[in-house]
Amino acid sequence: MLDFIIKRLIQVVIVVFLALTAVFFLIRLSGDPTTLFLPPDAPREQIEEYRELLGFNRPLYVQYTDFMKGAIQGDFGESLRSGDDALGLVLERMPATFQLAFSALLLSIIIAIPLGVLSAYKRNTLFDKASVGITVIGQAIPSFWFGLILIFIFAAQLKFFPSSGGGSVNHMVLPVITLALYSVSRFVRFTRSAMLDVLNKDYIRTTKAAGTPTSTLIMKYALKNSLIPILTLIALDLGVLLGGAVITEAVFSWPGVGRLLHQSLMNRDFPIVLAGVFIIAIIYAVINFITDILYAYVNPQIRVK
Amino acid sequence: MRNNKLLITFLLIITMLLAACTESTNVDGNSSSSPDSSSGANSQGPLVIGFEADATTLLANHDVNYTTDTLIRNIYDPLIDRDSQTAEFVPVLAEEWKNIDEKTWYLKLKEGIKFHNGADFNANAVKFSIDYILDESNGSFYRSRWANVEEVVVLSDYEVEIHTSVPFPSLIQRIAEDLLIIEPGYVEEVGIEKASSKPVGTGAYTFVEWSRDNHLKLKAFEDYWQGKPEIEEVEFRIIPEFSARMSAFMSGEIYLFKNIPVDSVKQFESNEVKQISSSRINYLALSNLVDGPLKDVKVRQAINHAINANELLETVLSGYGSRITGPLSQLNADYAETKEYDYDPDLAVKLIEEAGYSPEELTLTLDTPSGRYPMDSHIAQAIASQLQSIGINVEVRVNEWGQHLEKIQKRETGDMYILGWGPAFDAQSTIENLFTLEAPYSSFYQENIEKKIKETNQSFDQEARYAGYAELQQQLVEQAAWVPLWQQADLYAVKSSLNFSPRVDEKMNVFEMSWN
Repeated sequence: MLDFIIKRLIQVVIVVFLALTAVFFLIRLSGDPTTLFLPPDAPREQIEEYRELLGFNRPLYVQYTDFMKGAIQGDFGESLRSGDDALGLVLERMPATFQLAFSALLLSIIIAIPLGVLSAYKRNTLFDKASVGITVIGQAIPSFWFGLILIFIFAAQLKFFPSSGGGSVNHMVLPVITLALYSVSRFVRFTRSAMLDVLNKDYIRTTKAAGTPTSTLIMKYALKNSLIPILTLIALDLGVLLGGAVITEAVFSWPGVGRLLHQSLMNRDFPIVLAGVFIIAIIYAVINFITDILYAYVNPQIRVK
Repeated sequence: MRNNKLLITFLLIITMLLAACTESTNVDGNSSSSPDSSSGANSQGPLVIGFEADATTLLANHDVNYTTDTLIRNIYDPLIDRDSQTAEFVPVLAEEWKNIDEKTWYLKLKEGIKFHNGADFNANAVKFSIDYILDESNGSFYRSRWANVEEVVVLSDYEVEIHTSVPFPSLIQRIAEDLLIIEPGYVEEVGIEKASSKPVGTGAYTFVEWSRDNHLKLKAFEDYWQGKPEIEEVEFRIIPEFSARMSAFMSGEIYLFKNIPVDSVKQFESNEVKQISSSRINYLALSNLVDGPLKDVKVRQAINHAINANELLETVLSGYGSRITGPLSQLNADYAETKEYDYDPDLAVKLIEEAGYSPEELTLTLDTPSGRYPMDSHIAQAIASQLQSIGINVEVRVNEWGQHLEKIQKRETGDMYILGWGPAFDAQSTIENLFTLEAPYSSFYQENIEKKIKETNQSFDQEARYAGYAELQQQLVEQAAWVPLWQQADLYAVKSSLNFSPRVDEKMNVFEMSWN
């Protein structure tokens, strides 16, 4: 088991390293930030001077090794615009993103699992078809569009909720629903097929024949056994929710990491972007790591493999 | 029947969940963030202004950025400002200014003005604020503009002299556009980092709270030297998405925001839209620095004749903009009338033929940003189709903004590109920065024009300067250095309960606003 954990930990480090490397080089394709920071009338020698001050005049590989040396020690440098500690700025935003992601996940679970179970149990009925249909639509709708529609109806027209910003539960409702839409659709479909698998098993048929009440049959025997793959999906989706809320956060002006990354990318504030990617990559890799460990714990065959 | 029951139960659960969420239990106990439920704006609460992006720092004189500057101008005062409609210089913290000689400026300051923390405003504060820009270790992005300033000398508590290394006639413009006054004692006491997030100035509003990328809250400064502001509390709310800003405006959450896209104006009530001609101009640069037919003045003139800018303005921009015919707008202090190239496709073809080409053999590239200026990429496509109608092949290349700028600076664009310039109130800051060899933003260069620019800039004699710039404007138009398009229209959404007049310099000074 220890071997397995060490191997997986090494994988986490590799994933984070590769993610940082890829983003480091990719954002440099977007142009030299110095030109965006300085007033357009800045003379050429001044631009060169700032390039030197910010370190952009060095060869790219030198910039990269220096960045990696810092990153290993948790030092991502300072925001090019404001001079604040980049990692500090990202960490400051994490609570807001966590709040949104966990709420969306909770909402998804509360809605999706009962819906998936019922869909499976009532296979091929109108209810099943409707719920499958809705989940297909849910997966197909782009989140920014859905978010804007919610804002238009519930904020601009009905004035039930504020259209943007953060700070209160009221502010959370629309972004949480938007973010949950995709997960709900995935969870329903997955729960439904996992349940169908189990419901077709012999032991369920036998239990049913023995006269076990339907609720006990579903809750105690069927759902419990189909939960393991569902939990895996939930864990993976948490990663997606934490890292992929960029668009939702931008649409709803939610002051989380996604917004910060979006804004920093537009401003070419590289240290913040890299610090943000670092944190998201770590979260993603750690969630996967924990899922793997739990899996291995539950299913020893995986450890052997 | 059973199915229906389940469906209803499910819907009920969702409704209950939503209802549970709607209770106005605030996470941070912040009650002011709930939406205004009345249809109109409520004149009792804080004035909420929607902004596309947040300030990157609240310390003055650091970040050259429209948003940062606009927000913090409510906290700090400048020495000199521009008149909100005519753009002429008006005294603020400075009482008067004059040249002692070509390299020395003298400023007399107003007395009896206090900072928010009670400290006195004086010459030391001015010196400290300029020194902040000049000190390399501060990394102020304004330094490039102030590089010619050698030293600030405090003559007395309310008199300063600014010494420059070369004659610097546009220093007053730099003071008006860049410089805001910081409280030295406060910055020295708390350090730059804290002063960057909790600012102290002499401005009409004092700092209350800043939640980055969320909101900036300010309240009226009771002892403001120009009298207590009419509007008690202000909140700048950061809403990057236009649709979300519009929804927030429609629901009464915000009272004011800038930059309604021209194609969305119809969605607002007509009395809720205010416009002003911006000092920002848009143009189509015609590069004579890349090898190609545009090196020939006749081809450049032909392109000017082949593009119907009035039609573009009326159709693509729905009339929101004011046509310009030369390198400066009428708002500009040194503006001189220049001839307009009439739309004349036949003449265009003739000129191209005189230059030794036929339109069909010309293939030009046109670089454009997307989303930086009103309808920019649409304009580029429309220009391409106008040029194609006389036979010129045009390849439009849409660039991401940072890339576009870098391509221009490195002279890697094609033959033509769309760009804007501004705010621009005097000729030097436009013409010098566009038409010298070092200046990258027009890609047009002629030695005699650069020589004339240098001569004119050295002059402190206003009449000679004006005459020099008038001649330059004529020359640039004759040489068809670019295709002048228009001054942008700044479009603001304003609730009728707010008394607000847009300024030509795009600033939003809440002190000038009031409730109706």
